[in-house]
Amino acid sequence: MADDLDRAAGSHARHGAGTGPHSLGRRDFLRYTGMGAVAVGGATALAACGSSSTPSSTSSSPAAAGKPKKGGTLHAGLTGGTGSDTVDAHRGVDNVDFARIIALYDPLIGYDLKAQNKLALAESITPNAKATVWTVRLRPGVTFHNGKPLTAEDVIYSLTRIVKNNYGGASSLASVDVKNLKALDSLTVEIPCLTPYATLPDAMTGYYYYMGIVPVGYDPTHPVGTGPFKFQSFTPGQQSTFVRNDHYWDTSDGPYVDTLVITDYPDETSQVNAFVSGQADLVNLLSATSIPQVQAAGNILTADGGGMTPFTMRVDQPPFTDPRVRQAFRLICDRPQMTDLVFGGRGTIGNDVFSPFDPEFDHSIPQRTQDIAQAKSLLKAAGQESLTVQLVTADIAQGTIRVAQVFAQQAAAAGVTVNLRQVTSTEFYGNNYLKWNFAQDYWYYSKYLPQVAQATLPNSPFNETHWDNPAYNKLYNQAIATVDPTARTAIAHELQAIDHSIGGYIIPYFPPTIDGYAKKVNGVVPTSVGLSLGAYNFKAMWLA
Amino acid sequence: MTAEAPPTARAPAEASAESRRHPIAWLIWTRTALGLVTLFVVSILIFAATQLLPGNAATAVLGHNASASAVRTMELRLGLNKPAATQYWDWLSGVLQGRLGTSLANGQSVWSLVGPRLLNSLVLVVLAGLIGSVLGVGLGMFAAIRRDKPADHALSVSALAVTSLPEFVVAIFLVIIFSTVLFHVLPGVSPLESTSGALKPWQDPKELVLPVAALVVVIVPYIFRMMRAATIEAMESDYVEMARLNGLSPVRVLLRHALPNAIAPTVQVIGLNLLYLAGGIVLVEFVFDYPGIGQGLVNAVADRDIPQIQFIVLVLAAFYIAMNIVTDVVALMVTPRRRVAR
Repeated sequence: MADDLDRAAGSHARHGAGTGPHSLGRRDFLRYTGMGAVAVGGATALAACGSSSTPSSTSSSPAAAGKPKKGGTLHAGLTGGTGSDTVDAHRGVDNVDFARIIALYDPLIGYDLKAQNKLALAESITPNAKATVWTVRLRPGVTFHNGKPLTAEDVIYSLTRIVKNNYGGASSLASVDVKNLKALDSLTVEIPCLTPYATLPDAMTGYYYYMGIVPVGYDPTHPVGTGPFKFQSFTPGQQSTFVRNDHYWDTSDGPYVDTLVITDYPDETSQVNAFVSGQADLVNLLSATSIPQVQAAGNILTADGGGMTPFTMRVDQPPFTDPRVRQAFRLICDRPQMTDLVFGGRGTIGNDVFSPFDPEFDHSIPQRTQDIAQAKSLLKAAGQESLTVQLVTADIAQGTIRVAQVFAQQAAAAGVTVNLRQVTSTEFYGNNYLKWNFAQDYWYYSKYLPQVAQATLPNSPFNETHWDNPAYNKLYNQAIATVDPTARTAIAHELQAIDHSIGGYIIPYFPPTIDGYAKKVNGVVPTSVGLSLGAYNFKAMWLA
Repeated sequence: MTAEAPPTARAPAEASAESRRHPIAWLIWTRTALGLVTLFVVSILIFAATQLLPGNAATAVLGHNASASAVRTMELRLGLNKPAATQYWDWLSGVLQGRLGTSLANGQSVWSLVGPRLLNSLVLVVLAGLIGSVLGVGLGMFAAIRRDKPADHALSVSALAVTSLPEFVVAIFLVIIFSTVLFHVLPGVSPLESTSGALKPWQDPKELVLPVAALVVVIVPYIFRMMRAATIEAMESDYVEMARLNGLSPVRVLLRHALPNAIAPTVQVIGLNLLYLAGGIVLVEFVFDYPGIGQGLVNAVADRDIPQIQFIVLVLAAFYIAMNIVTDVVALMVTPRRRVAR
């Protein structure tokens, strides 16, 4: 296990590259998972929502009513890109990569706006009785940007490309026997699994921005996909341009704009300047402090996402080896105060269990609230009165440093001294990533069981808490071999009960995503996926 | 590295030994030779510094979730497993043969990535340098002839105030005034983009206005103050008084007699400010998202893209050295008494 962790940590090092929250490895990775689904499935869901933009909070544009119309150029000003940006369907790393991937490609299955599975290029994905073989039936009549029709061979080529090169989506296909993928006919693919894998669609959804389907012989320097926009130009770290795909398979809502221009901005200041001076119609990943300026010039889109920025306690290192200390730390948090101070009240209160939008999520677990007296008595029982700990924090996502400061203050009430050690995000995701004793992290939204596979199993690539509980591991293996959703949900609830009572995460809230869009842009709606701008759903946007 | 010492200190001794050698040619030769040595040392320093960055290009390129074997394969391909000295020599010998290598971040050639940025930055520096010098010299002379009058005081106080502001603060003020808060007349950022791809800076001059203005505002006060002081000094000299007593027109006195003597120290200051521009563009390009080498350098560092970092820093160092030589030569040419071998 130590080896696995070292490896994961090493491979994370690249993320130091980024200039801000968006550049981090794991976090991007997670966001990835959330994003793909929308790309594919978003269209119909958006259509259902109508063309009017109904942001969950703050301003909504009254001009939104009316019939969507085609034409115009949409300028997206996004932060989070780097010089190693890509338009490759499977090699995205940062937020801006995902925006491009969603424009260019479609996965088999993605998310709808409520972060539920939604079929995209697949018409159906069905398991056999033991979940050892899955059969994917493709939507007929879909063509790539170069006119070639989508076939089973393209799916086999794409999945093989992902696994063979160990690209981002490979971990969701870990149990898939890619060597024996088979085309049953031109639109049907058989996916055999090495072990029972009842959660394959959920795992693929979670990585949808890594799972774009590309044609056989795909050349990433001339990227061709099935997505709502066709490739036109790309300069890494600077800008990329796309034109509307007039032959897009899903005609329910868009694509509308003639041209999409994505410009990279190095930081929020220049991004907001671009927005206010009218050079960018869309801006992503804003902090609460930019809201007044952006609101003065356009609209704010706040989405309550299901991604998370947990505090991570290493359960194999003192003082966190004692579950009473972990419980005490969770009881220290005044969660509403945290969202108030960090996001001005936006965001959703968390209960130390991840994946809140999963139908398998157990909403009956009582909400944990601050209880300083109980925390003190637990610490006393554990022999850890007047405990001093170091909390490693970095600017890895909106609000991470701020919430660490708030936690340190709240902990003082329980007699715990929290010394903050602020490092750069490069250092945070450098060689010590996954080794910090008490730190934070950032994850995009994923469904519950796929998230367990990523974070809380002994062989998980990003097990920050070093969680390795035999009963938990056994339950997980049982769950992914269970095809019946009701039975599987029951097992998932048992796992969540363990997470909630003795787990190594503190999940005080699920952070909101705050974006801005110009008054002339319509069709911008929030999503629970945790990616910006309705999971970069440029397809449904149109210009008044 | 600054421009002052050599001609005065060395010229007499060298001139006597090498009396036939033209002092300007000699200066250019020795400075160029020294400059090359400096460049070599700089290249070693840059290489050493990039080795100290956490993480390497293989992990940077592959992303956080790459397997160890994929990282090893990439390291082999990029030669990152070789000793640092070998990596350095591979790079240096490549550069000497005109091969700048390929970007570790995205596999494109370093020249194709840095070349367009170089042009963009050059446009920025040249425009800012030209406008800043003309404005600084003009305002300096104007303030000198209006010495101790309200216009002079206003200019001097403003110059002092602006001097105390860092360039990114100036840049943000300009954006607030002209783009976002007070007026909305100019673009607040300058990414030089169009729907069909990247633009050349002259294709959208509006986007150049604020970045150039920010740099001009920063360099003008220094040039202005030096020009003002030098002009005042020249105007008080005996020969100017003589010229005046001879009944020459004030304009002629200023342009033909005072200016040539005031310009020499000012040239040194202009040179220093152009050198400053080479570094100042990093911040200004960042604020305006202007695709120049300053922004390229920031990105390259973030990506651990060592070939790109090395090339950009080398270009900046070469610019620095070249500008020093040019400044010295120009200063020599406007100072006749130093030009003659004694």
